[in-house]
Amino acid sequence: MAQVVRGTNLPGRGQIYRAHKPARRRFGLDKILLTLVLLYLTVPLGATLAFGLSIGSGFKFNTFMSAFTDPDFSQTLLISLGLAFATTLLTVLLVTPTAYWVQLRLPRARPLMEFLALVPFAVPAIVMAFGLVEVYGTGNTLVNVLSFGLVPLLSNEPFNVVNTPQLLVCAYVIVSLPFVYRPIDNNLRAINTKVLSEAAYSLGSGWWRTFLTIIFPNILPGVISAALLTFSTVMGEFTLASLFGIYTFPIYLNATGQSDAHKAASLTILSFFLTMIFVLGIILLVRIRPGRPGTEDRLDIVATK
Amino acid sequence: MQLGAATTAISQSQSAVKTRRPSSINWGYSITSWLGFVPFLLFCLLFEILPAVIIIQNSFLDSNTGALTLNNYQTMLSQPSYVHAFQTSISLSVVTALLGAFFGFFAAYGLYNLRTGWLRNLVISFSSIAANFAGVPLAFAFVATLGVTGFITVLLLRWFHIDLYNGLNFSLYSFWGLVLVYTYFQLPLMILITLPALSALRPEWKEAATNLGASNSVYWRRVALPILLPSLIAATMLLFANSFGAYATAYALAQGSINIVPILIGFVVNGNVSLDPGLGNALAMGMIVILLITVSLYTAMLRRVSRWQGR
Repeated sequence: MAQVVRGTNLPGRGQIYRAHKPARRRFGLDKILLTLVLLYLTVPLGATLAFGLSIGSGFKFNTFMSAFTDPDFSQTLLISLGLAFATTLLTVLLVTPTAYWVQLRLPRARPLMEFLALVPFAVPAIVMAFGLVEVYGTGNTLVNVLSFGLVPLLSNEPFNVVNTPQLLVCAYVIVSLPFVYRPIDNNLRAINTKVLSEAAYSLGSGWWRTFLTIIFPNILPGVISAALLTFSTVMGEFTLASLFGIYTFPIYLNATGQSDAHKAASLTILSFFLTMIFVLGIILLVRIRPGRPGTEDRLDIVATK
Repeated sequence: MQLGAATTAISQSQSAVKTRRPSSINWGYSITSWLGFVPFLLFCLLFEILPAVIIIQNSFLDSNTGALTLNNYQTMLSQPSYVHAFQTSISLSVVTALLGAFFGFFAAYGLYNLRTGWLRNLVISFSSIAANFAGVPLAFAFVATLGVTGFITVLLLRWFHIDLYNGLNFSLYSFWGLVLVYTYFQLPLMILITLPALSALRPEWKEAATNLGASNSVYWRRVALPILLPSLIAATMLLFANSFGAYATAYALAQGSINIVPILIGFVVNGNVSLDPGLGNALAMGMIVILLITVSLYTAMLRRVSRWQGR
C-alpha cells in the first residue's frame, strides 16, 4: 500500500522518496547478511546428509538405511513417542481449563500464572533435574511440610515416582509451560471469552459444556500450536531424561554418536525431519484457519538446548 | 458491543439496588474461583516451586551434617576451577547472544525488506525449524560438518589444503567450537523475535520523518532504533538465557570435557565425580541468580515494548 503512494500520487513526496529508492532496490548489506546467515544454517544440514551417506570415498545408501534397523532405534523412538504423547495430553488437560478459568473467574491470578509460566526460563532443565532429584530422592522436612505431605506420598512405594517416566512427564509439563500458556492465553483474549461464556450460560449450558463445545473449538489453533511444540520438545529432550536414567531416543542418539559418527549423522537427519514435520504442522494448522486476524503473532520457540 | 453495554448497565443497576448482598456472595464466589485454580497450583508447587526451594535451602546447608553454613558458597568462590566455569559460561552466553543478536537483526531486516512473499514465508518457516533443532542432533550435525573427520574439514583439506585441526589449531570441542554450535540456534531465534518488532514500525513514522527532512540514517538513529531498542535488548536477554542454561548440546559435543556450569551440575547429579552436593546447590543457585537478573531485565524491556507497540 505504501508503495503505491510513493510512486504516483504526490510529486513532491515522490521526489523525496526517489532519493532513497535505489538503496532499497540494491542488494544491500542486510541482504548479504541474510544470505550469509541462511548459508550458515543450511551448510551443516547438507554436510551432515553428505557425511551420513558417505563411507570412505563412495556414497552408499545402505549404510544410511542400516541406522534404522537397529532394535534399540525403534525401541527408544517408541519410548520417546509415548512420553511425548503423555506430556502433550497432560499439558493440554492441565493448562487449557486453568487458563480459561483464570481468564473468566480469576483475573487476579493472572500475574501468578504468568510468573509460573516464566519460572522455567530462570530455572533451566539441568537445575530443575537437580532440584527434582533432591526433592523426591531425599527426605526433607521443609519440603514435606510445604507440599502438604504430598512429596513423601509420591516418593514412597504405592505411588513412587522417583526415577520413573511419570516424574519425567511431570517435569516436561513444567518445561513446556512458557510456550504452552502464552498461545492459549493469547487466543482466549482474542475471542472475547467473557461474552461467549455468558451467552452460553444464559442459554443454560454448564461450565464444562461451555468449555468443551464453545471455548475449546475457538481456541483450537493456540492449543494445537502449543501441543505440537510440546511434542517436538519432548521428542528431542536430553537433559532430564539422561539425569533420570530413562532410555529415550536422544540418549540413544548420543550413545550412537560416541561410537559411530556416520550412523549418528543419519539419525540426526531423521531428527531434523521430525522437527520439520512438527513445525510445519504448526505453521499450516495455525495459518490455514480462516478469518482470524493476528495469527501472524510469532511462534513461541523454546526447545530445550 | 451494545449487548455488552446493556448487560453492564443492568448489572450496575442491580448492584445499585441490592447493596447488602454482594459482600457475602463475593466470599463464596472467590473461594470457588480459587478452588478451580488449585490443581494447577499444586502441580506447579510439586514440580516447579519445590525443586527451586530445595536448591535454595540446600545451598546454605552442609551436605554431611545438615548444619547451616556458607561454606558451599565460599568453596565455589575460592576455587579457581569453579570461578572459571562461571566465567566460561557467562562469556560463552554473552558472545553467542551478541553474535546472534547482531547478525540475526540484520538478517531479520533483510527479510523484512524482502518483497517476495513466498521466499519470506519459506525463510520464516526454515528459521522456526532451525530454532527448534537443538540439543544432541545439533551437536552431531556439527561433528559431521566440522569434526576431525567432518565433511567440511575433509573438503577444506583436500581441495584447499587447509588443515583446520593441525594447521589452524581449530577444535570443535573447545570454547569457540561451542560458540559456533550455539550461534546456530541463536540466529534463527533472533530472526523470529525481531521480525514482529520490525513489522510494528509504522510506515507513518518513516513518512513523517522524511517530510521533516530526515535522511534514512537520521530516521534510523533518531526514530527507529530508539523504538526498537527495548525489543532488541529483550531479545538479547532471551538469547543469553537460552545459551546459559544449555546442557544437552555441550554435553553431546564434548562429553563433559568443557568446563561450564551446567556440565558441572550434571556431574553432581550423576554423582560420578568428587563434587560435593552442597557445592552443586551453590552452583545451581549461581545460575538461578544470573538468570533471574536476565529474566527481570527481559520482562522490564517487554513492558517498554508494549508501551510503544500497543501489544
